[in-house]
Amino acid sequence: MKPAAFQYFAPASIEEALSVLRQYGEQAKILAGGQSLVPMMNFRLVRPKCLIDINRIASLSYIAAEGGTLCIGAATRQRSVEKSALVREKNGLLQEAVRLIGHPAIRARGTVGGSIVHADPTAELPTILAALDGEIRVLGPRGPRTIAWRDLFVTYFTTSIEPDEICTEVVLPTLPPQVGWAFEEFTPRHGDFSLAGVAAVLETDSQGKCSRARLAVAGAGPTPIRAFTAEEFLQGQILNETTLLEAGRRVSEQVDPDSDLHATAEYRRHLACVMAVRALKRARQRLHERG
Amino acid sequence: MNIAVQHLFPASPGQLWGFLLDPKRLARCLPGCETLEEVAPDRYIAVMKIGVAAVKGTYTGRVEITEKQAPFHYKLSLEGSAAPGFVRGHAAMDLIEQDLGRTLLSMNAEAQAGGLIASVGQRFLSGIARQMVGQFFRNVEQELNRAGASAVPSPVERGFRE
Amino acid sequence: MHSDSGAGAQSARKWIGKSIPRHEDLRLLTGRGCFVDDIKLPNLHHAAILRSPHAHARIKRIDVSKALALDGVLAVLTGKEVRERTRPFSVVATSPLQYYCMAVEKARFVGEPVAAVVARDRSIGEDALDLIEVEYELLPAVVDPEKALEAGAPVLHDEVGSNLVCHRLLRYGDVDGAFERADLVLSERFVYPRYTSMPLETFAVIASYDHFDGMLTIWSNFMGPFIMHPITARALNIPENKLRFIVPSDIGGSFGIKTSIYPYLTLLALLAMQVRVPVKWIEDRREHLLASSSQTDRIGYREVAVSKEGTLLAIRSRLYDNVGAYLRTPEPATTFRPIGNAVGPYRVKNIEIDAHIVTTNKCPTGPNRAYGCQYIYFEQERLMDEIARKLNLDPAEVRLRNFIQPDEFPYTTPTGGIYDSGDYPRAFRMALGMIGYASFREEQKKARAEGQLLGLGIATGVDPSVSNMGYLTVALDPEVRQRHDYLPKSGAAETATIKMGPLGQVTVFLTTTPQGQGHETIISQIVAEELGISPDDVTVVDECDTAKNAWSISSGTYSSRFASVGAAAVAVATRSLREKLCRIAGHLLGVPAEEVEFQLGKFHPRGRPEKALRLSHVAGTAHWNPRGLPPGTDVGLQVMQTFSFPRAEPPDQKDRVNSSNTYGFMVDIAVVEVDRETGAVKILKYVSVHDSGTIINPKILEGQIYGGAFHGIAGALFEQLAYDDQGQMLSASLMDYKCPTAAEAPKIEIGHVVSPSPFTPLGSKGAGESSSETAPACIANAIADALSPLGVSVKELPLTPAKCWELMRSRSQAKETI
Repeated sequence: MKPAAFQYFAPASIEEALSVLRQYGEQAKILAGGQSLVPMMNFRLVRPKCLIDINRIASLSYIAAEGGTLCIGAATRQRSVEKSALVREKNGLLQEAVRLIGHPAIRARGTVGGSIVHADPTAELPTILAALDGEIRVLGPRGPRTIAWRDLFVTYFTTSIEPDEICTEVVLPTLPPQVGWAFEEFTPRHGDFSLAGVAAVLETDSQGKCSRARLAVAGAGPTPIRAFTAEEFLQGQILNETTLLEAGRRVSEQVDPDSDLHATAEYRRHLACVMAVRALKRARQRLHERG
Repeated sequence: MNIAVQHLFPASPGQLWGFLLDPKRLARCLPGCETLEEVAPDRYIAVMKIGVAAVKGTYTGRVEITEKQAPFHYKLSLEGSAAPGFVRGHAAMDLIEQDLGRTLLSMNAEAQAGGLIASVGQRFLSGIARQMVGQFFRNVEQELNRAGASAVPSPVERGFRE
Repeated sequence: MHSDSGAGAQSARKWIGKSIPRHEDLRLLTGRGCFVDDIKLPNLHHAAILRSPHAHARIKRIDVSKALALDGVLAVLTGKEVRERTRPFSVVATSPLQYYCMAVEKARFVGEPVAAVVARDRSIGEDALDLIEVEYELLPAVVDPEKALEAGAPVLHDEVGSNLVCHRLLRYGDVDGAFERADLVLSERFVYPRYTSMPLETFAVIASYDHFDGMLTIWSNFMGPFIMHPITARALNIPENKLRFIVPSDIGGSFGIKTSIYPYLTLLALLAMQVRVPVKWIEDRREHLLASSSQTDRIGYREVAVSKEGTLLAIRSRLYDNVGAYLRTPEPATTFRPIGNAVGPYRVKNIEIDAHIVTTNKCPTGPNRAYGCQYIYFEQERLMDEIARKLNLDPAEVRLRNFIQPDEFPYTTPTGGIYDSGDYPRAFRMALGMIGYASFREEQKKARAEGQLLGLGIATGVDPSVSNMGYLTVALDPEVRQRHDYLPKSGAAETATIKMGPLGQVTVFLTTTPQGQGHETIISQIVAEELGISPDDVTVVDECDTAKNAWSISSGTYSSRFASVGAAAVAVATRSLREKLCRIAGHLLGVPAEEVEFQLGKFHPRGRPEKALRLSHVAGTAHWNPRGLPPGTDVGLQVMQTFSFPRAEPPDQKDRVNSSNTYGFMVDIAVVEVDRETGAVKILKYVSVHDSGTIINPKILEGQIYGGAFHGIAGALFEQLAYDDQGQMLSASLMDYKCPTAAEAPKIEIGHVVSPSPFTPLGSKGAGESSSETAPACIANAIADALSPLGVSVKELPLTPAKCWELMRSRSQAKETI
């Protein structure tokens, strides 16, 4: 299929982009990597009157570490994150998750900001943002603002970004060496949207008891879900087979997945538990290796 | 697609019934409903913007209320088509009295989507359906709170008085 | 690569049997292939098709006025014009059902064309589609072939009165008697899914009408059988010699699917005849998944009668084939194509086939790789394993006890098939060796002790190639076939044209419309072998033009016919040319033709190599000096020769028919592990041993085997054309129709046994389908073996992780009566 007719702008600066956006409002869509947007336009599921191509705005593409955070320009290619030595050093979980996005061809064009604002609950990057309590920065006519992940994701494919705002930056904490982490997902084929995915982060105290646990689940509801009851349970526990399995069980209780052509809600719920346990085990393994 | 949901409302069955079957209120509660025009008793033509995020279509179609057993049961049927395809659904609505002047609304719906959205949008469908149902309930609850539940005279009670 | 040659003839050959690189690859890999989309014509316009969103609906009103008014739109066509201007397509079985290239009054499947637009470009065409208003009256739909036969089910075709469009009960041998004698009877209900092939190139058509001379030219990636040419001409009410089909040299895959392009050829032809400018349509992937073609889905009840030694005594098969909304020619081909090899490689003499062909509100079906064999081998091989389990025998032993033996060839099956050659036990034992069968059960025991779900599955099958055109008439009642006005169908033939220029260079013309199988390379090897030249000296022209080529209704490549009948035609044509050259040389040398030897490009009398003539001299004589030719010899060096199989007769009165002409054999064995937690299936080891007769190019053959096996694995584990119970198609993009990719491909070890066919000049047989027929059964058996400690029964595909997980949570058993 061919898309419906649209106007095309390729601004050279953010200000120019914002000005076009102000003009067209909800009838405009930002074109970054286009890996989600363009197929939907080709199917005519989405018919923006205007496409604002931000790929020429160089200032939106960077990876920088400042203090305890990793700041990534919204239009940074996923592939850059995948290959970045800085990301490998500062936040291995992000790099592990990015590697699971689609195929190399998709990552060559897809952007970090694009994936997050697309807000697909089965996608890796929104889940990482949730797991790490990350936030994004947006810019609009009312000035810049920061949106924390839990205020960002509203429901399926819907964020709280206003129609006249553009996401400019994604901010994540760095993960120091003493932190264990892992991302596990289950896909029908390599590169598919996952049926369930879990990002796990673990830290232990000097007695080997869990001092911090973070578990975020992809594909478990309308947005990425933080499994708070599982996290609370793990706090202060020794990380063994029993406690990890119990954490997994709590994850499956907290999620609320859908049924569709490929999997029932029940199967996804079960997978969430399995992926959670596998992610926790690998995170714990990493802890032991590095600690 | 089968959707079975329940929601507790701060109103008696009679009050809730009055709410749900009032076309003006129904128009405000049906998500994305732009207009709802009665063409015959219990039959309406609706214009609804259905979808999620940018995947939205403006659907024109019919809404029909049948199997009325005031104030405990009715059936809501919806049928509309637009460029992305069509949607069709029936929901069996049961109003079950609870204590403290509350009613449990139990909705059992069968929904079908067809056309483009069904053939390439399987990933979105469940989400859209659940979203709409959730939104519908939230809207009804908001309307109830706005009206102040006790202030709404229920048609059933009116009937008794007369 | 394991190999085990037959007669030793292979090693004496110079080109046949060699893995020379493919000639086609250079142009394909550098983007210089010639596909339909590459064809440029002046004033080319584009078609866009409006398709029904409903599975079953009466079309009450279509308003195209707004679409016509859109700038850039030339014409809009609806079912009304289609009915006025075309005849319904010929239907095989004697069914009154009417099938047009567009919905007429009623839409019967989601995706059926209901209108078509011609516009300046495709985007405007699609804008116009948005402006067409259609009023539908919805009708209830049915998608399950058994439900479609229940009382009260929605009937798709009022003129038929029921959804059963064809029914044949075929009985061979003494089935009832065998069941009475049996020590064990097993039965099961199997459900085989609807999947398809996913050619990289979708349907592509350009139609152009010259209204001065009434000539309609259609470029497309149609690949035969060319019976569709007269069928299209008849539908369009034009004489056959005013319809020109041109197929470019490259087609991006087909696997049988593009046989069913002809309704779109007809539609584009109508548009071109109306607007009188060339009209082009390239199908997009969504259209392809919705409304091109696929195999049927089948519900199969199979019963086997067995002796206590595990010998098959009889088979009963009751099947319901879902052909979709129309019985579209060549269907019910899928059902009847494997009649000749319905017993597979086993010696069972009694078989009953109760075939129901059913219409439902799904896309119409057509030929798809495996072409009827996949269902049979799935059901039968699953039951072979169940027989082993019930009788406490080794599953490999059960097969060995039932194989047709090597000294029984040519072997006539109870259904009339004539198996030409084979050594099933040898190929089977090679596969067992390759998979490490002897030590597997020990490994499995250890694995199970550790909680691992490890399993091994075997599947064997006979691989039929080159259809006998008569097989399809088994769909007709024998009484119909006996009527005096009935014209029987039979035959399996191919024609090759070879010509040699004055300097001795060779050009070959074929009408096999290759879709990536490497015909140019194979042909050049055969010709080089026969003439003692190099393959580089052979030019092969595989563009097919019905106005210029010598073609017949069986032309094309389908049913794995090329390596069998195509290669045979090339061989006999080349030998005929060689004979002519030797006659001319003999005449010039003053010796009888039989005493002429042709070696290394030179002709000389036997025993006198010094008295030699160069090829260019002999060829030159034929062109430049016809007076120097032997009396009675035609000028020039062009030979057109047909190769025809002798045993390709119509079915007899007892419905016996040799449905194919050469029959290969394959055995697939796989070791899998099922993840206990997720249900995911991992293929740990996969071996496939093939006997497709003489191997012309081992590398090309292995490509076919690998592709066929992976294709079958895709059907077993990943792919399904999914419909809901209202006929809504749910998997119309590659996101939801899950074709596995290279990342999912297992390593496949291939072995060969060579039993040359006595019926073909080179001994070669077709191998295009190969393991696509047995891989699904193999994987199903492996998973069933892996899950057997859980008492799980496998009778449906695909076995996605979700399905395996569900299976693990339930228990069921095959029915058993003793």
